[in-house]
Amino acid sequence: MKESSMIGKNVPRLDALEKVTGKAKYSVDLNLPGMLHAKVLRSPFPHARIIHIDTTEAEKATGVKAVITGRDVSEEKIGFIRDRYILARDRVRFLGEAVAAVAADKVEAAEEALELIKVEYEELPGVFDAEEAMKPNPPVVIHPDLYTYALAPNPTPLYRFEPDMPNVYIHRQVLQGDPERAFRDADMVIENRFFMPSAQHAAIEPHNAIAQPEPDGGLTIWISTHQLYLFKLNLCRLLGLPSSKLRVVSLYIGGAFGGKSGLAVPAIAGLLASKSRRPVKFVLNRDEVFLDGNNREAMTLCVKDGIRKDGTLLARQMRLILDAGGYSGTTALVAKNAAFGAIGTYNVPNFKLDSYAVATNNPPTGPHRGFGSTEVVWAIESQMNMIAEKLSMDPMEIRRKNLLREGVVDSLGMVTHSIGAGECLDKISDWLGTVPATPQNEGAWRKGRGIALCNKYTIGGTDSNVFVKVHPDSTLEVRHSANEIGQGCDTVLAQMAANEFATSIDKVKIVSCDTAITPYEEATVSSRITFHAGNALLLACKDAKNQILQIASKKLEAPSDSLEIKDGVVYCQGDKAIRIVDLFSPKGFVPGGGEIMGRGVFSGPRENEDPDTGQGKRPVTYYAHGATAVEVLVNIETGEIKITRIGSCFDMGQPINPKLCEGQMEGGMGMGIGGALFEEIVFDKGLTRNASFCDYKIPSSIDFPTKENVISLIAPVLHSEGPYGAKGLGEGSLLAVAPAIAEAIYNATGVRIRDLPITKEKILKGLNLLRSSS
Amino acid sequence: MKKLIQLKINGETAEVAVEPRTTLLHVLREDLGLTGTKEGCGIGDCGACTVLLDGKPVASCLTLAVEVRDREVLTIEGLSKDGELHPLQRAFIDHFAVQCGFCTPGMILSAKALLDRNPHPVEEEVRQALSGNLCRCTGYVKIVEAVLAAAEYMQSQ
Repeated sequence: MKESSMIGKNVPRLDALEKVTGKAKYSVDLNLPGMLHAKVLRSPFPHARIIHIDTTEAEKATGVKAVITGRDVSEEKIGFIRDRYILARDRVRFLGEAVAAVAADKVEAAEEALELIKVEYEELPGVFDAEEAMKPNPPVVIHPDLYTYALAPNPTPLYRFEPDMPNVYIHRQVLQGDPERAFRDADMVIENRFFMPSAQHAAIEPHNAIAQPEPDGGLTIWISTHQLYLFKLNLCRLLGLPSSKLRVVSLYIGGAFGGKSGLAVPAIAGLLASKSRRPVKFVLNRDEVFLDGNNREAMTLCVKDGIRKDGTLLARQMRLILDAGGYSGTTALVAKNAAFGAIGTYNVPNFKLDSYAVATNNPPTGPHRGFGSTEVVWAIESQMNMIAEKLSMDPMEIRRKNLLREGVVDSLGMVTHSIGAGECLDKISDWLGTVPATPQNEGAWRKGRGIALCNKYTIGGTDSNVFVKVHPDSTLEVRHSANEIGQGCDTVLAQMAANEFATSIDKVKIVSCDTAITPYEEATVSSRITFHAGNALLLACKDAKNQILQIASKKLEAPSDSLEIKDGVVYCQGDKAIRIVDLFSPKGFVPGGGEIMGRGVFSGPRENEDPDTGQGKRPVTYYAHGATAVEVLVNIETGEIKITRIGSCFDMGQPINPKLCEGQMEGGMGMGIGGALFEEIVFDKGLTRNASFCDYKIPSSIDFPTKENVISLIAPVLHSEGPYGAKGLGEGSLLAVAPAIAEAIYNATGVRIRDLPITKEKILKGLNLLRSSS
Repeated sequence: MKKLIQLKINGETAEVAVEPRTTLLHVLREDLGLTGTKEGCGIGDCGACTVLLDGKPVASCLTLAVEVRDREVLTIEGLSKDGELHPLQRAFIDHFAVQCGFCTPGMILSAKALLDRNPHPVEEEVRQALSGNLCRCTGYVKIVEAVLAAAEYMQSQ
């Protein structure tokens, strides 16, 4: 590569100085003149008909400026299946659904006014178990009009309703080969059932938005989200505004992990702002984040594998049941995309998957780091270990034997490209040492080790647009709309821009996430920004450089292809050169050219998929691959688990900034430890029992091993279409953690856990069963 | 009923009108515009609102403004002196200990309280001292590294 001085370098984060000094602004930090505060009234029932809402008293209360109910919201609904009004109209379908909202001059006044709203409900029977709900004759049908709802725009109609299962939002099918025949031909068939519970993203900044009415009748809305333009598109629809009258802005985002994808918060702020003609701030309390913060759905997974004696996988059949909750959210799409995670690592020539997103009266669910992959990787990797054991094979060996390889067609019909899974496995098992460990006894403590693989797909058919403006002082202003959610996209894009212009990082300025000035970006989702926005940025740089070279070529009287830009100077072969600053007139204008503004557009590959089999040439854009290794100590008297070592190795293609990649891997391991050992949203007939950080524990600094026992390794396999060969990473780092921990625990104790989280109680119960059966 | 009180924030005196129930967090963010102090849960579980009160870390969401009269409050905005970053701030930048940044102010202040009372902490002590500050992005590895590096640097000065 000609100029790569900035690529693969640990450039310090551009946002770090602001963040360590408290100057970094998040939308929740904004206070606008005359600003009101919003609060919503939530349903106390998981399923009920709304007979009547009386807001008379609330409207009269001190400080109250606007009250809205379902009557005030548009006919437009949200969800991939358009099934939910911003405020409930005639029915509530989960406990915590918003039925009315108040804007008042103080938070307390808004809260007090909520108590004055009288809602008359008629309770309806509920259903809280997805498998019960999906029966042909369920206790209750949650969306009687399901089949009349509109669908969100989607490139291919992979949704399928099941009229015999009236609570099934969608059924997704994948089929390749002849699994039934392969099961008959197999030497061994192994079938297991796994469970992954509902989880919260637990970003430390709660969901929030501020809407400000503008003189033209439009709105400006500042939102903590990772889907800037997707929010703009949907909020225009929900608020009845043309694109030109809605400006959406995001500042720094205090964590997201998929959770900041709900439209209700900004839409309610927008409606209240329009009604009161005042700016309105709406911040969810932490318990509201748990109730309606787009939690990950609970998933039950049945995996059936047919294997040859030598460990070759012949067939795999999976049945996924997703408890999507009272509204489909994005879980209908998770049910579709889970198939991508299920096929991304291993070569399985006969494959069948049936995935059902099911309506229940639990809270609605949405995207969570992994978007279906966390769940399927948990089941498949656990299953691989069980197969290895049955065949008395090394768990690493059976994985290596069945890995997809470059050029092999996967179970969705896509030709495998850029797969570093084997390298990741080798590197991380070298780090951990011999696997499995010989169980070592120290009193009641037993040591065990485990390794798991994972893949994370990035969705197909998405678009990015980036602008690069060259200032008269030769600074590059990168205008993009990827949300800086902590992953470091601003720094990564700045490194690429500096690299393209052969200049230093301090000559790059980032302007981001304001739909009035920064260009279209599909969304900061699916680990897609480095690849998609990166590619768009490279094109924008090329465009801007061409503009500079055209002008410089005239000034230097040399052909533009003989010129080169470095450190703000255009050099010509020989001694001639001109500074970029000298291309501008003293007025800061390029005569005849105006501003120097490069534009780059990148569209990810788009190929149709067969709606009945899911087969397609390019169902996903690329896969990141990785492996996680864990060593645990388990106390066989108390069930206590200590993670003593944990490490990951990932193939994200070319790392642009290795330290940022390490940060993603360490963060993924942290979140993975939480998911493996303690995170579970507990429901009791639709009631969320643990809606706080006190009752829903996420890992703290003492739940991680000491720093010399943590490692993040990189095994890059370049992608031919990626910027410098880069792919993506953010989500993947979470996925292999839970199955690696479960294997380590099995290795230590003989207790095989199939239902997450792995609690002390489950360990002790398993040990008791082992004792009683031996 | 509101009452005028004087607070000492980052070495400066501030006069604010508060109700008995007004929290220190509310005064900092809403009245004084010191939004570096964050609110993550409002009930003392997450540590994002940590400030130092007479040098000790407290959850400002659980601290009443009237309680802190005549006491020294330090927020993240008061940590760097004359544009010079505190070694902890420098170390958080150098060690990539910041991601989304929402827990960072509270995390740094908890770390400062630790280093003030224990200038040579071992890793376990750092982990214990930060265990009340939740971070969802980092896995804490680089945060712990940064605190240990800052301690070492301060020792060398």
